[in-house]
Amino acid sequence: MRNEKKFLKSFLRNPHSTQPFFERPYLSRRAFFQAGTGVAGMFLAGRPALGQDVVKRGGAATNGKAKNVVFILLAGAPSHVDTFDFKEGPDTPLALTKPETIGGIRFPVGLMPKLATNIPDLAIVRSIQPWALQHQLCQTWVQIGRSPAGVLGDVAPNIGTIVAIEKEAERKAGQVFPTFLCLNSDGAIGSGFLSADFAPFKITAPANTAASGLPDTTNVDGQTRFDAKWNLLMSLDKPLRNANPYSREMQDYDNFYQNGRGLMFNTQVNNAFRLTATDAARYGGTSFGNSCLTAANVLAAQGGTRYVQITIGGWDNHQNIYANNVLPANLKTVDDGLSALIADLKKSGLFNETLIVMMGEFGRTPGRLTATAGRDHYAQQFAVFAGAGIRGGRTIGSTDGQGMETVDSGWSRQRNIRMEDVEATIYSAMGIDWGTVRYDDPFKRGFYYVPEPRSDGDAYAPIEELWKA
Amino acid sequence: MRKTKHWLAGTGLVLLCGGSWFYLAAQEPVKDAETDLVFNTDHSQCTLFGSDRDEFYEESVNRQARRQYRFSKATVEAVSHLARPTSAGKTEASVFDRLEQLSFIDQFLFKAMQSAGITPAEKTNDYEFIRRVTFDLTGRPPKHDRIVAFVENNASDKRAKLIDDLLNTPEWADKWAMFLGDQFKNVDDNGQVRRFAEGRNAFYRYIRTSLAANKPYDKMVTEMITATGTNNWEQGEMNWNLGGMMTGGPVQDNYDFQGEIVAERLLGMGHQNCILCHNGRGHMEALSVWGKSATRAQSWGLSAFFAKSVSRRTYPDPINRNVWYSSFEDAPRNADYSLNTTTGNRTPRSPVGSTRVITPEYPFGDGGKPRAGENYREALARIVVADPQFARASVNYIWKQFFTRGIVEPANLFDPGRMDPNNPPPAPWTIQPTNPDLLNALAADFQKSGFSFRDLMRKICNSEAYQLSSAYSGNWQPQYETYFARHLVRRLWAEEVVDGIVQISNSPLRYTYNVSTLPVPGGSTTTTVNWAMQLPQTRTLPGGAMAQFLDSFLRGNRVDAERKAEGAIPQVLNLLNDNFVMDRTRSAVNAGVPTLTRQLLDKYATSDNAGLVRELFVTVLNRPPTSEEAMISTGLLGGAVSPQLRQQRLEDLVWSLYNKVDFVFNY
Repeated sequence: MRNEKKFLKSFLRNPHSTQPFFERPYLSRRAFFQAGTGVAGMFLAGRPALGQDVVKRGGAATNGKAKNVVFILLAGAPSHVDTFDFKEGPDTPLALTKPETIGGIRFPVGLMPKLATNIPDLAIVRSIQPWALQHQLCQTWVQIGRSPAGVLGDVAPNIGTIVAIEKEAERKAGQVFPTFLCLNSDGAIGSGFLSADFAPFKITAPANTAASGLPDTTNVDGQTRFDAKWNLLMSLDKPLRNANPYSREMQDYDNFYQNGRGLMFNTQVNNAFRLTATDAARYGGTSFGNSCLTAANVLAAQGGTRYVQITIGGWDNHQNIYANNVLPANLKTVDDGLSALIADLKKSGLFNETLIVMMGEFGRTPGRLTATAGRDHYAQQFAVFAGAGIRGGRTIGSTDGQGMETVDSGWSRQRNIRMEDVEATIYSAMGIDWGTVRYDDPFKRGFYYVPEPRSDGDAYAPIEELWKA
Repeated sequence: MRKTKHWLAGTGLVLLCGGSWFYLAAQEPVKDAETDLVFNTDHSQCTLFGSDRDEFYEESVNRQARRQYRFSKATVEAVSHLARPTSAGKTEASVFDRLEQLSFIDQFLFKAMQSAGITPAEKTNDYEFIRRVTFDLTGRPPKHDRIVAFVENNASDKRAKLIDDLLNTPEWADKWAMFLGDQFKNVDDNGQVRRFAEGRNAFYRYIRTSLAANKPYDKMVTEMITATGTNNWEQGEMNWNLGGMMTGGPVQDNYDFQGEIVAERLLGMGHQNCILCHNGRGHMEALSVWGKSATRAQSWGLSAFFAKSVSRRTYPDPINRNVWYSSFEDAPRNADYSLNTTTGNRTPRSPVGSTRVITPEYPFGDGGKPRAGENYREALARIVVADPQFARASVNYIWKQFFTRGIVEPANLFDPGRMDPNNPPPAPWTIQPTNPDLLNALAADFQKSGFSFRDLMRKICNSEAYQLSSAYSGNWQPQYETYFARHLVRRLWAEEVVDGIVQISNSPLRYTYNVSTLPVPGGSTTTTVNWAMQLPQTRTLPGGAMAQFLDSFLRGNRVDAERKAEGAIPQVLNLLNDNFVMDRTRSAVNAGVPTLTRQLLDKYATSDNAGLVRELFVTVLNRPPTSEEAMISTGLLGGAVSPQLRQQRLEDLVWSLYNKVDFVFNY
């Protein structure tokens, strides 16, 4: 080492142990994870005995029209015949639903007046069927894009995690926002077997505007005292954060501290997560509305967030579906929130590069209501797409007069559309090779971004018709 | 003479890696030519030999950073005369010279290291050891007075006695009930089956009571597999088989998954899940030597043990069909496992040749079938607990909890084709256990001891291998990990972080969870516990902010998220800013109980900040401060011009210690 004498002298004047970067020859955390060492990132054992690339590309064609995704999960399974596959049944209250045909699409204007004006922006897919009818199973299915009971199903990551890991390389220096954000979705599926680096950053948007900002990014003692404490912490802990004699893992934990600190007292972060009363009112003043508002702000901030999942429940209407505080109230919430989100994304110029997907986990019984004036689980559903250059103002696929069964699938594969196809659509829109297989799963068997088809089934594929005239 | 560390603090000189030097009573000073630093070679009044010695020795000799900064010759010379610190004050002979005196665990491990030319890490000092073993065995940090007594005790068997004490605490049963709850995936609702709070709690009670009573693990597993009854809310062990139920498919899907959980969680054979859908051939060649020739028909032989069982629902409230309890009973008139399905959660099951029905046949080890007239599940339990793989998988799962990695990794993917060094697999496959003799010896010992968890853990914790430090002064290579040549650190569990902060700060918390899904007339539907480690499941409980805090430390949910030891930004934001942590830095008296901060302020006058800092560090980090930490901390407190400022600075100091990386990691 050059000038050791001088160094030692200055070292004694500044008695904090330091380790210059050139004396730290080790793999960065990122390199550790890419090497397939997975969780804990420490040992190289457990890799397949025979050599394999960790990420094997499939060369699938993608359309790359989207830079961002907003995925709205309608948890509880909304009735399709009362919403986006509207069918007047014997029990349908016409005064409440006020159906009109807009551009050839039958729509309950009474229940969703604002979205009725957004119909030119929306592509409504009506030929979707779920593989099962159980809530938790199917909500998971929708978020991971495969059967939770299937291969690697119980360790599968959220679709947003795959997007986050694929878009990691596009993060710019100085961006501090999490790539994958979950709003009002505390139960959202996480990163599965993939690193917690790509897990959803979960925030429950408050229902009132009093609280604001990203939770836990301010300290109750205020910034001045926080900064003093932070300096104290770093001076006490520097030896263990720079030349940790026990493990690299302990040392690397500091990265999370630096990233976390970057989110704190940060004007850009605060502005993106703060809700003003006027804005919240525009979005309907609900948790869901606040989540949509936050999504609009966060995406406009261009701080690194690329995938936002928002959940709204209350759709499991087995009883009294048309009561004012049941379906109509829930639809008003969506009507207010989604229409405002579309408007704000257009204003910020992001609508054409943000893919919005809105769906539940299955549909509900069409025709007559049940004995409890509700609708039960049913294997026919819808999905609403908007943004990212999608041709709106039309439907893809159609069901029979009552909404009981697909009569026209509306796409080239000529079969019912499944969640796996929706998943492929999302990846294609984001320019992600949806034929990719990763071999860093716990079985080293291969995790397919879009699952292999069932033994009796057709391969899954993106619904490219959404972008066609 | 004033204590050395005060003196050092006073002049701002720090004993650190690189540039360490000792200033002693002035006698013939010597100037070092290299550094111009001044040394005294008279040792007579050096206070370094004593309780500070360990601390200074560790810093100056064992810190890896030492290699970056060359000491002056005088320092190296002085340090080389220091004996290695041991509690007995004697120099320890190299472990390789004492192999024949060691336990079987140590013999296997150290012989392997010796053959490979690997030097093991040094022994933990007493502070490292008491913290590590207390967290590992009980999920809590050791308390201040216990630490001081332990360190000052000179008995040669003090570590063994500590281990025995810890094994017999109620906290031990709490922690290992959490571990087995994870292992058995005890949860109220996993999307396929609903145990409800009642069933989950009954299963939790069964697990914890069995552990507390030291029930042999083979007995537990037998009870779980053979459990028969009408109400899973009352008979906890019934909830094991219920965990294998599937929806959306034929009964064979149930039998398959009930067999699969036996294979994976009890026998470490997770590849069973793959073979249930397809033969190994054409799928498993790159994954498992055993797997690549395993067949679906073999795997069905395990599922078939469940074919003569059935579960039915009973609705306690006839109006509310959303709440039920389940039976699990024998159904001797059921068909055997039939190959006649085309739907469900698995690929179609068709006859194999002329075989249309599969009868039970254990697909692993030495095989096995029910005897004439024997109940299928009783037969399965009998065969499973006698299979050495059950003992091997069990000891490996436990080993992993203490050593951070198993002897076989991943611990749920054993490959029977790669187990036997006398019958090795073809290249490039390697033997799967990194020390097959050790694994087999541990398994045999576990069987002999009556499948006693306490006995296994006692042996593990008493081994010299477990007691190695995680600091390594040599040139560490990643491949040494499989030799266990140093201790690998692990980030604390979510529950350990939370319970640790609560215990340390003397600031309790209460957690409420459901005991009844239906209303209880005149009674409560909830119960309360005082420690996160006592929660009966990791998903959603206890609700609210504390659930979010615990989740941020990745405790998993026993459904689709495993417990993970990774770091993540939300964890750090919680430690920095969450009310749970901030409240526990404060000076306060809660229901007559003063918090740690308040106790320290009351106990130590401003003239004794050094004593305060020492007690603070021992309480929170379970070790005394390094001289640098002491200097910074006493300087911070000493500079406070008012009692209010002193309190504020102590609060900040407590906060800093909770956020130090050596708090949240067990090393």
